[in-house]
Amino acid sequence: MSKRVQENTDTPENALHDASPAYRPTDSEIDLSLLADSLGKTPWERMQANDDALNFADSLQMAMKRRYAKS
Amino acid sequence: MQNLSELMRRLISSDVEFVLVGGFAAVAHGVTLVTRDVDICCRFSDGNLKRIEKAFADLHPVHRSRPGLPLDLTPDQCATLKNLSLKTDLGIVDCLGEVLGVGSFDEVWQHSIEVELPYGKFHVLDIDALIRAKQAMNRDHDKITVRYLQEIKKQRATS
Repeated sequence: MSKRVQENTDTPENALHDASPAYRPTDSEIDLSLLADSLGKTPWERMQANDDALNFADSLQMAMKRRYAKS
Repeated sequence: MQNLSELMRRLISSDVEFVLVGGFAAVAHGVTLVTRDVDICCRFSDGNLKRIEKAFADLHPVHRSRPGLPLDLTPDQCATLKNLSLKTDLGIVDCLGEVLGVGSFDEVWQHSIEVELPYGKFHVLDIDALIRAKQAMNRDHDKITVRYLQEIKKQRATS
């Protein structure tokens, strides 16, 4: 373990972040772990993941609409 | 149910001359933001527009600006259209004659790379041109997309 990591694990939050440097956002607030996962896929797999996320978001929005329509 | 991947498959299978641009192009490059439509830059020739019409014929395509108007392109329309924005059963497809920050279809084609999918090949705007296009649009979500694309460029350069 590097000196820098040892110094930063004095709180639970820092220990969690230092478990994997990939969890730390860059200066531009990009989640590098999500990006690494995406870059490990083919373009086709990325497009299908977008479709899955889009349909999941739509189903959530429909569920929320139904929820508020009842109340 | 939206299926942007199937819209892409239909464009490729129908031999439409196009380059994928916009948010779905960013997704193809690796950006993890979710996009809701397919943006393509295509040649606005009579034959190419008819191929687009045929590709989506069974998906009830309508003009987005006039939802009551089914897609039924006349030769006059083909000769004068600059953009074509469609709503289909599987999602929205925006067809552009040129891309801000990049240029006409021929210029967009020059700045594209070929990508292979399970059912065929297509062209996607290369990462530098996509960054220029997004910077030219300069909306909030374009700025975020540019940050992702620049990070992807950086990671590719170091890997």
